[in-house]
Amino acid sequence: MSNEISTELVCPDISQWLCHLLREVDGVTHNNRFDRRQRLDVASDALPALLTLLQGKGSFVHLSAISCVDWIKENEFELVYHVWSYEMKVMVSAHIRIPREPGRYLSVYDIYKPAGFFERDIFEMYGVYFEGSPWMEKFILTEWDGPPPMRKEFDSESWVGDHFDWQDYHPDWLKDIEAQGGGIAIRPEEQRFSRKAKDEC
Amino acid sequence: MRAENYQARHQPPSNEYELNFGPNHPGIEGNYALKVRLHGDTVIEAKADGGYLHRGFEKLMEQRLWIQNLALVPRICVPDPAPMELAYSTAVENLCGLDVPVRAQWLRVLQMELSRIAAHLFTFGGHAATTGMYNPMYWGVADRDVVLDLFEELTGGRVYHIYNIPGGVRKDVPDGFLGRVASTLDYLESRLPDYDNLFFTNQVFVTRSKGVGTLSQQQALELGVTGPNLRATGLAFDVRRDDPYLVYDQLDFDIPIEHAGDAWARTLVRRAELKESIRIVRQVLERLPSIPGPIRAPIPNPLAWNVPAGEYYARVESSKGELSWYVVSNGGARPYRTHIRGPSSMHAVQVLETLCKGARLEDVAQIMFSLDACPPEVDR
Repeated sequence: MSNEISTELVCPDISQWLCHLLREVDGVTHNNRFDRRQRLDVASDALPALLTLLQGKGSFVHLSAISCVDWIKENEFELVYHVWSYEMKVMVSAHIRIPREPGRYLSVYDIYKPAGFFERDIFEMYGVYFEGSPWMEKFILTEWDGPPPMRKEFDSESWVGDHFDWQDYHPDWLKDIEAQGGGIAIRPEEQRFSRKAKDEC
Repeated sequence: MRAENYQARHQPPSNEYELNFGPNHPGIEGNYALKVRLHGDTVIEAKADGGYLHRGFEKLMEQRLWIQNLALVPRICVPDPAPMELAYSTAVENLCGLDVPVRAQWLRVLQMELSRIAAHLFTFGGHAATTGMYNPMYWGVADRDVVLDLFEELTGGRVYHIYNIPGGVRKDVPDGFLGRVASTLDYLESRLPDYDNLFFTNQVFVTRSKGVGTLSQQQALELGVTGPNLRATGLAFDVRRDDPYLVYDQLDFDIPIEHAGDAWARTLVRRAELKESIRIVRQVLERLPSIPGPIRAPIPNPLAWNVPAGEYYARVESSKGELSWYVVSNGGARPYRTHIRGPSSMHAVQVLETLCKGARLEDVAQIMFSLDACPPEVDR
C-alpha cells in the first residue's frame, strides 16, 4: 500500500488472473458471476491465508463488509467477507460456513482493521465469538439481556408479547365512531398479543 | 438508560477526566455519543458509543414482504435516504433478473444527485455551526428545502421518497418539472459564491479546520474510509465511476480530490461535488426528454412475490461514501437476510476514535462534522 495507489484497471481478464492467484491457497472454489463480482467458496480454515494473499499480492486492500447469514436448518452460520481492489476494480466475496455451535471463528482484524467493527456487530447480533478480535463487547445493544436477536430462532414479536403488556386502545371518541359502524381496522380482541387474548390463554 | 453504562471505563489519574460528548449535543450529528478522556483540553482517548438509534431494520426486514420493505429502507439515514432505496432495489432486481428501463435509470440518477446536493447542503450547515457560524447553517437548511420542494413534487415525499421500487421508479416527471429543476439549479449555483464568501473561504472556518483531524491516504485505506473523506486524501475513487451502475458511465463528471486529508480538505471536496452534481443533473435534464419508454419493468403481484433464491451485494455512492447492501433470498416471500454497510459505520467509529486521539476538545465537533457521519447507518 502506498500513496501512489492507482485506480486504473491493470488486468482486463480478472477471472483468469484471480484463478492464477488462487492456486496458492487450498480449499477455495472460484465462481465467476460477472467481471466485477467474483464469488469464492472457502474452507473455513483457509480463509485467513486467502485474505492475507488477497490483501498482500492481490491488492484487495478494502474490506467493504463482513456479513453473517444464519442458516438454521443446516445448523450453520455463513460468514461473507467482501473485499474490493482499487486497482483491479473487482469485488470478491469469500464465503465460509461455520457450525452454529459453538459459533466461534478467528478474527481477521490483523489483516483488515475494519473487521473490528463488523466482528463486534456479528458478535452482538448473532453471538459468534471471534478469537483475537479487539472488541468482543457490546456496542449497540448495551442494555439487552436477551439472546442474540438476529438469530433465526429469535422471534421478536413473541418476545414483545412475553415482556410487555399490551393495552387496548379504546377511548370514548372511538366508541362513538364504533357505535356508528366505524372504528379501527384491527379490533382489540383480534390483536395477536392483546391483553384480553393473553388473559384468556 | 442504565447508570452502569455511564461509569468511567478506567479509574483516571487525578489530572485526567472523562467527558460524555453526547448523545444529545450540538457537536454530534444525530443521537450518538463519544466518551472522551481528557488531559487538560487534549483528548487522550475517545470511545464511540452507539445504539441510541438502533431500530432493528435488518431484523424487521426479514419479517416483511419484499415490497413492504421499501417503506423501511429510506428511514435508515435521514439526511441522504435516496441511495438506500436504490441499493435495496438494485439488489432485488439482480436477484430477480429484472432489467430496469433506461428512462427509469436516468430518473434515478436525477433523484440520486438531487439527494446528494441536499445532503451536502445540510452538512455544510451543520459543519458551519460547529465553528460558531450560524448563518451558513440557516442558509444550508433553507437551500436544502428548495431541493426538498422538488422531491415533494416528483415523489410526494419531502424527505422519504420511496421513489425507487424494484424494476424502476414509481412516477414519471410531472409537466414542467424539468424546467423547475433547471431554475433551482441556477439558483443553487448562484448561491455558491455567497457560500464561499461566508463559509468556505472564511478565515474563521479555514483556521479552525486546516490541519485538524488529518488522515493520511494510507490510514484512510487501512480504516476502510470511502467517499469524500477518502477523496480528500488524494485517491480519486468513486463507486459511480469505478463500479458503475445506472447510466453514470454515460455522464460527464469529474471526481474532485484534495490532498491534505484534513477537515478543511474534506469540506472542499464536498463543495466541489456540489458543483459536479449540478453538472450531472443538467445533463439529465438535457437527455431525459429524448429518452422514451416505460419507467418500470413489470414485476409479479408484489403481495405474492417470491424472489428467486440467491444473494447479491449492491453498492452505490451515497453522499457519505460507499453504501452497500447484501441481500439474501431463499426463494421466499421475504428477504432471508439483509445487511447494510453504511459508510458511517467506519467513519463514525474507528476513524472518529483515531482522529480524536490527540486532538483538542474544541476540535472534536469539527472532526465529527467534517467526516459527515450519519449515526443511524451505524445503529441500523
